[in-house]
Amino acid sequence: MADVEMKPVEEKKAEEGKKEESKEQSPAPLTPVAEIKANVALIERAVSTLEPRFTHRVLRTLGALRKKLSDAVLRDAISEVYTTESQTKKTLLGWLPPAPAADQSMDVDSAPPPKQSPPEPVPESEVYFRLLILHHFLTSQNTYKQAMDLAHDTIERMQSLSRRSMDPIAAKVWYAVERTYELSGQLADARPLFLAAQRTASLRHDDETQASLINRLLRSYIQYSLYDQADKLVSKTTFPTSAGNPQFARYHYYLGRIKAVQLNYTAAHTNLQQAIRRAPPAKTAPGFYQAVHKLSVVVDLLMGEIPERSLFRQPVLEKALSGYFEIVKAVRMGSLSQFQSTLSKYASVFEQDKTYTLIVRLRQNVIKTGIRRLSLSYSRISLRDICVKLHLDSEEDAEYIVGKAIRDGVIEGRIVHEKGWMECGGQKGGYGPEVSDVFSRRISYCLELHNQSVKAMRYPLNAHRKELAAAEGAREREKELAKELQEGGDLDDEGPDLGEGF
Amino acid sequence: MVPPQVVSSYKQLQQAFSARPSDPKKCALLLAQLKIALSELGLLVPMGDASLEDMIIARDVLEIGAFWSIRSRDIPSFDRYYSQLQTFYNDYSSALPPSPREYPIRGLYLIRLLTQNRIADFHTTLESLPLAADTLTANPYIQHPVNLERWLMEGSYSKVWKAREEAPAEEYKFFVDSLMDTIRNEIASCEEAAYESLPLKDAGTLLFFSSQNELLSFAKQRGWQVNLTAGTTTFAKKGEEKIEIPREKLIAANLALARELEQIV
Repeated sequence: MADVEMKPVEEKKAEEGKKEESKEQSPAPLTPVAEIKANVALIERAVSTLEPRFTHRVLRTLGALRKKLSDAVLRDAISEVYTTESQTKKTLLGWLPPAPAADQSMDVDSAPPPKQSPPEPVPESEVYFRLLILHHFLTSQNTYKQAMDLAHDTIERMQSLSRRSMDPIAAKVWYAVERTYELSGQLADARPLFLAAQRTASLRHDDETQASLINRLLRSYIQYSLYDQADKLVSKTTFPTSAGNPQFARYHYYLGRIKAVQLNYTAAHTNLQQAIRRAPPAKTAPGFYQAVHKLSVVVDLLMGEIPERSLFRQPVLEKALSGYFEIVKAVRMGSLSQFQSTLSKYASVFEQDKTYTLIVRLRQNVIKTGIRRLSLSYSRISLRDICVKLHLDSEEDAEYIVGKAIRDGVIEGRIVHEKGWMECGGQKGGYGPEVSDVFSRRISYCLELHNQSVKAMRYPLNAHRKELAAAEGAREREKELAKELQEGGDLDDEGPDLGEGF
Repeated sequence: MVPPQVVSSYKQLQQAFSARPSDPKKCALLLAQLKIALSELGLLVPMGDASLEDMIIARDVLEIGAFWSIRSRDIPSFDRYYSQLQTFYNDYSSALPPSPREYPIRGLYLIRLLTQNRIADFHTTLESLPLAADTLTANPYIQHPVNLERWLMEGSYSKVWKAREEAPAEEYKFFVDSLMDTIRNEIASCEEAAYESLPLKDAGTLLFFSSQNELLSFAKQRGWQVNLTAGTTTFAKKGEEKIEIPREKLIAANLALARELEQIV
């Protein structure tokens, strides 16, 4: 699960990053150092113009940039950005291993002593550098320890600086912090840290950090199967509505998982649908796409619906969902034996996806489908035959099970106990009050959709002015016309004659 | 460090609990004393660094308390002990040696959720067990409630009935009675829907009643019409009469529809 969750957004970022690069930057690919420098400049601009847009642009390239990082690149970038010798520069360089001697001498030679010290870069750039170094540390196992130290140091630095323009970067830093803890296998220990930070973030209305942190926490709870706590967290927090789509997709995925465990399948279904809609396209984030679909297939089945066949033909899902496809087939056939054999065959896969317990719950659905098929094909069938066909253990069981199915409204029928058979009632007529209920529900959904989309439409800011001006103009013309008419009336009194003449 | 008098009363509690037959009154007295002593020592809800031995004593006391409350049929008290034990089982699982009573108590809690028909809580608790999902069935204490739940859900009530003697621990049987009440009501509601009438004898076997008197009082309670001479019981028919068209609702829906259309066009 671990990786699946991580991939989507990263890869999305990578993709976007690439697009952006090819679009915006010069045709010749920039060196990583130059790219970092450009990014720092953008951050400066974002801070000076109070436009978080530029920071977002920088962060989108993070995924692509991360793969090109190395000690040397980071060192060069830092020494080029921080031209003056300062405390910040020293601490930043302190995290990196010292450069080989030759390298350093070159650096010293090439960087001319600054004539007039330019202003120190903004603290946002410093945190950005720390983020880059952190990601760089996480690429190799040897530096996890350092990464942990740096993570703590960065958090302290961020909190002591407490600048609102830093929020988008801070949200990314928290992600890196979680990754650090997870890779060193101490995800549970990070929880108090996240909880405290989440409180602060929500007090400061720092939406991005808050969204990121709520997801971090949910993930950590669900990783350790603490569904109770996760549920409480969800009920006590409000997910910021301004959060980005990737965060929303994750949030809905976690919600769907919690709801599914709590047997609230309808809510789980809605959440998973949202997650699928908000997730980046399948090609860019296959991991997330597959994980959501796995869960969604199981929830669909638990709701008594059969997922569409075409879903399993999608190239991204075909292989990953093969086990689930077998389960769907078994449920559709209502065959308990096939269900059991599939379950044991793919047990380890389901266990890994954390869907095993959910799939075990499907057993009753298999039986229900089986009974429904029988009731459709026979008008009268003995309990013994039901028992044989559904692979139940005894006739006694069959009687209870059929009784329950009738009570739950799965089938229409009666049991005749003395003769030991089940009589199936005819299908209900397709017309009645319930039809109009369904109809009005669907229509109201359509109307709701229409109204929502009307509300969501954007109108250009000054459009109404134009209209106003037009109206004003029309009024003006009318006035003139009236005036002219009046004046005309004054001038020639033989108006009516003229009219006749025409 | 736990003072010696607490240790001695802990020893007494252990003796009183494991004696056959155990002494419920003495247990209750000792438990009350020990709980006060433990909370004074800050061990009831351990914080920070308590020593391992002390925590094991605290956990044992709570576990005995949980079992004792079931034996004296005090379910709310069992709930309290269970939630106090959660800390020891979940948060200190890495520090403390595993307790042999942990899974029996977890299993008992699961059954308790079942008897109350709290199926959603049952599944949430099951998911949060520190066991891999496909090894759940390997643990006899957990397997029992899991099977019960499955049979209840699919309707194999006779299996539930048969399993009541196969409880893995003595205390599981204390829940059997309330569980039987739950399933009897389930079966009765199924019968009402699935049969028109049923011979009294068969109704008795289906509901696991051994004597007719029990059945008759149960039938009275649910409002069944019993015909003693023919030896059958007839179930009151529900539904079917409501085929009338809900006029007002339809009119309201159509008007709302017309208004919305007016807005769009």
